Amino acid sequence: MSFDPRQSRHFRFVRADYADGQAQLVYAFDGGVELVERVIFPGAPAIAPARRAAFDAALKLLHLVAGVSYYKAGVPEAIVVDAGSLDDATADLLDELYFHGLGEFAYHNKLDLAGRIRFPRGASAPAPAAAIGLPPRSLVPVGGGKDSLVSVELLKTLHEDATAAWVGLSPLIAACVERTGLPGLNVERRLAPELFEYNKLGAWNGHIPVTAINSAILALAAVLYGYDAVVFSNERSASSATLEYAGQAVNHQWSKGWEFERRFAAYLRSHVAADLAYCSLLRPLSELAVTKLFARQTRYDDVFSSCNRNFKILGPKPADRWCGQCPKCHFVFLALAPFVTKPRLLAIFGRNLLDDETQTAGFDALMEFREHKPFECVGEGRESRAAMHALSLRAEWREDAIVARFVDEVLPQLDAGEIDLASQLAPSDEHGIAPRLAGVVDAYR
Amino acid sequence: MNPVDPALNAHAGWIVVKFGGTSVSTRPRWDTIRRIAADWRARGKRVLIVVSALSGITDKLKAIAESKGDAARRASVRDEIVARHEAMFAELGLVDRATLQYWLDRLAALAADPRAENGALPWQAEVLALGEQLSSTLGVAYLTAQGLATRWLDAREHLLAQALPNQTEWGRYLSASVPTAPDPAMAARLAALGDVFISQGFMARNAAGETAILGRGGSDTSAAYFGALLKAEKVEIWTDVAGMFSANPRIVPAARLLSRLDYEEAQEIATTGAKVLHPRCLNPVREAHVPLAVRDTNRPELPGTEIGATVGAAAPSVKAISERRGITLISMESIGMWQQVGFLADVFERFKRHGLSIDLISSAETNVTVSLDPSENLVTTDVLAALAADLAEVCRVKVIAPCAAITLVGRGMRSLLPRLAGVLAEFDMLRVHLVTQSSNNLNLTIVVDEAAADGLVPTLHAGLVKAEALRAEDPAVFGPAWSELYAAAQAPRATPWWRARRDELVALGSSGGPRYVYDLATVRERARALRAFAAPDRWFYALKANSHPAVLRAIADEGFGLECVSLPELERAGDIVGGERLLFTPNFAARDEYEAALARGAFVTLDNLHPLEHWGESFAGRDVILRVDLGVGRGHHDKVRTGGAGSKFGLDLSQVDTFRELARRHGARVTGLHAHLGSGILDAAHWREVYAQLAALAQRFSRIESINIGGGLGVPARHDEAPLDLAALDAALAEIKRAYPQFALWLEPGRYLVADAGVLLARVTQTKRKGDYRYVGLDAGMNALIRPALYEAWHDIANLSRLDDPADTLYQVVGPICESGDVLGTNRRLPECREGDVVVVAQAGAYGAVMASHYNLREPAQEIVW
Repeated sequence: MSFDPRQSRHFRFVRADYADGQAQLVYAFDGGVELVERVIFPGAPAIAPARRAAFDAALKLLHLVAGVSYYKAGVPEAIVVDAGSLDDATADLLDELYFHGLGEFAYHNKLDLAGRIRFPRGASAPAPAAAIGLPPRSLVPVGGGKDSLVSVELLKTLHEDATAAWVGLSPLIAACVERTGLPGLNVERRLAPELFEYNKLGAWNGHIPVTAINSAILALAAVLYGYDAVVFSNERSASSATLEYAGQAVNHQWSKGWEFERRFAAYLRSHVAADLAYCSLLRPLSELAVTKLFARQTRYDDVFSSCNRNFKILGPKPADRWCGQCPKCHFVFLALAPFVTKPRLLAIFGRNLLDDETQTAGFDALMEFREHKPFECVGEGRESRAAMHALSLRAEWREDAIVARFVDEVLPQLDAGEIDLASQLAPSDEHGIAPRLAGVVDAYR
Repeated sequence: MNPVDPALNAHAGWIVVKFGGTSVSTRPRWDTIRRIAADWRARGKRVLIVVSALSGITDKLKAIAESKGDAARRASVRDEIVARHEAMFAELGLVDRATLQYWLDRLAALAADPRAENGALPWQAEVLALGEQLSSTLGVAYLTAQGLATRWLDAREHLLAQALPNQTEWGRYLSASVPTAPDPAMAARLAALGDVFISQGFMARNAAGETAILGRGGSDTSAAYFGALLKAEKVEIWTDVAGMFSANPRIVPAARLLSRLDYEEAQEIATTGAKVLHPRCLNPVREAHVPLAVRDTNRPELPGTEIGATVGAAAPSVKAISERRGITLISMESIGMWQQVGFLADVFERFKRHGLSIDLISSAETNVTVSLDPSENLVTTDVLAALAADLAEVCRVKVIAPCAAITLVGRGMRSLLPRLAGVLAEFDMLRVHLVTQSSNNLNLTIVVDEAAADGLVPTLHAGLVKAEALRAEDPAVFGPAWSELYAAAQAPRATPWWRARRDELVALGSSGGPRYVYDLATVRERARALRAFAAPDRWFYALKANSHPAVLRAIADEGFGLECVSLPELERAGDIVGGERLLFTPNFAARDEYEAALARGAFVTLDNLHPLEHWGESFAGRDVILRVDLGVGRGHHDKVRTGGAGSKFGLDLSQVDTFRELARRHGARVTGLHAHLGSGILDAAHWREVYAQLAALAQRFSRIESINIGGGLGVPARHDEAPLDLAALDAALAEIKRAYPQFALWLEPGRYLVADAGVLLARVTQTKRKGDYRYVGLDAGMNALIRPALYEAWHDIANLSRLDDPADTLYQVVGPICESGDVLGTNRRLPECREGDVVVVAQAGAYGAVMASHYNLREPAQEIVW
């Protein structure tokens, strides 16, 4: 195959259909081969006629959102939707999603996306979506990291009827879901194989807004199986930018941010089903507040991992779940440290990252000390500084290499206001938590 | 029914036998207990049987004891316990259930007791004691019904617990101790009652007459207490393993059974890791001079481990090696004056204040470092933080964790130091935090980072045996290997081909010089076994192991590609297979070799920045494979390890991004990743780990198509090494492949295919006696086979001319080369050898002829293919 998507002029949304639990999402560059992605919903029930319109709208949304994986291989000039133009609200949502969601991708590939992404618009707005009688229960995506497990435990305190959902094959997530004790829903996603070929041949490659794709998949699942809420676990700091590039704020995790949550939730209500809620249960919380909640129970200590390395083969040792080298490992280690006993933390990670001089640069980046924040879902610099400061006050941590260096070199350059831990733990008011789950704010305490 | 033995006299000796939970949970197991007890009785001994509760019952009772206000939970667990004992009653075919009912009623009464609400400790002790009361009640009925008249003893009438100073109330009720000394009056009282008794482990009474529980390891301890009180002739702990081993058999299958230990060694081994015996149970029998044995209930023919008083004459030996994980070190640096008076007292007082007990201690003028064993307490409470804060008042404190303590145990450890030199070399490149040598001269402990401890104990154990610091061949101390006892169920090792063709080999070897003989059938069989694996996409044979053209052709015919490390190898391989089946993986080769390989269309592996930095244009438009160094070496000897900064192979991980940039700049495509960590690896899990690391690394590239996880498939040399488990390796590779279907999986075995297929034939030139040593000289030495000299490799050696004679002479097998290292094998048992005998050195098919030399102007051995 010698096709190079970077030479194409159009990216086409060819069609999306669904039968027997399998959605087919079809794309193409110019008149090239059809790229078929399959999303498989296990044990899917028949679609009730009353939910048909909502289902079709959710499928269309998924088709448009999931196209970002393919679009980015070529980033051609024009976007074509074979089924016809979009109404303004839909086009706006996708323009925003593709532009911001591909921000880090553009930065790494030195591309300028400004003005390039224009979904075809002009269709009139549909009638507002109706309520379709979705039952009051929640679909909770579980990622194997601490955040979604905190949500699971919060939902348990609310006695919420919840199902743990995950997309793709991951033994680590499967092990976490089993430990939650909740029923599980594993949606399978098969990318078009041509995409790997394109990548081998040098197509554009890089970060995509995968949370948006998973959101669209679970919105469709909610309509299909009957859930009135899709409950994500994105916290406050997901909204903050990683750096600025070409005059734009670049956020590694834009689709985990508040702006995306707000817009996506509103879109689902207006275009899919009026009674379908989409929210993040942890939005009012800082990363530190989330780790503090996580520390409350020990049941996930030997199964969870927030490490960004893709652990497709699970072993029993901590090193089989935590690489110990990446920003996620650094951050979760640092953020948990103030809230758990040192032996417990070291048992989780199998080693002491804060007593390893070779990790100094990694922790500096978290504290935004001489480095920019890593392109990872990690807390804000001031959270890392406050956590490090809290440790420097504790005798059992103070002499560890990186904490001692913080005291000697970093701390003298910080203002007192920048290192206060308690102020980072207070919940904020900006969130979209579904009214039915509003009691969660009390469970934070 | 047994015939009734004549009554025992009042002075008949006592034997105490103890059986754990699994040994009392089925009827066949009770038959075993009856057999063992009846056997002792038939030999004229009085028998006291001590039993644990049925499997799982103590945990259920614990659930009741800790249920606090949850009456519903108590009721449901009680029902489970009742049902389990009803079922056991039925299985044993018992009829009279009055006594059983008595204890079940006690259970019901205790579960309904108002003291349950706050979990009062005396009540908890009574609840926990029920398991053994029930099991011994079933036992006495069954044994008697089966014709072995047995009397039931209430352990609480005989074991009186004594409160210790500073003991908590919890400890007084749930972790009690019983001071014991031989009590002839009690023994006489019991002797008047009968011959065979059954009693309960795990419990005693306190001074107030209440029930007290002995805590962890309680049933073994009960047996030891009874043994001491009765001044028994022996206490036997019957369990599901043959005794104590020289290492944890789960991680070291070659661990040897310890036939004989003294009390102190046994205590040390139990304390530093062995789970089979609780260290608490040794003190009572030691004080009373009662021997204790550990025996396997399923294999009563095995003698087990005998523990008794010091063995006088035995040569010092390491008896066992263990590891304990989850160790926390506290390092305390004095901040006061030099020789500050009372520093240690200040420090230790604080440990006492927090109820933490110290294990290891190492001290310097201004520093003292101690270790804390893992405990629930450290993880779930803030005690460590509080301790550190208090210690910070008097010193600079540093908490170092998680650590693993590796302990060598053996009486007279200090005299063993010279033998440990090579073994301790294993700690090269590890961060050693602490070394202590116990003041009783029983142990040497080395504390390292826990993450570095993986795989260390098996390596050290093998090293100890090899260095004869652990005198595994001394039958006075060591029994068979665990793998021989328990893994023998696996297929027995196949008879080597050269035994079957002995006559032909003797005929060949009787004239002419030394010869290598290769059996191609064995080569093909090995190749086919690997080709039968489902997951690997390509196999390459690393031809440096044996590059004989006939061997290469046989392997290529089985579908293998050929992996070469030099241009001459590439040329020879190129005569046999096409460029698409050639893999070129050299190290520090010159530029023209790479260019020649590319010209042939071979896959080319780079393991350095230099080629791309200086000859980048040679790789323009080419695919290259990157060999990285994952930083940890594995293998059977330093010189075959190919990972770690001390190794010349592989690109440092920190240079991977630079490599990628250089490749991009010169238009080279990085399409494969490779790592090879060493040779002789017998553990299937190893490749899984290498692959997971390479697959993670592949995420930093966009065009990786293949992952080559190298070779190093081990070939066991000694009889006590388990062979590489091919099925496990196949399964591990299949798991890898499922997880990363996008990558082609490559392997490149070398030695595995050819080692067993080749032998070195030599003739005896002379024999010599020198002091206690016997030497047998061969006409082939290190010029023919250098592995023993270079890697201390162990090759089986046999005298083919006298294969059926008893191997009763201990020889040093040497060659004719003028080097003191010209030794092919040390301490080998062979028949008495004569000049002209034909001797075979086995497993010489790999790295034999290819490494031969003309040293001393001696011709290396010729190669013959069969």
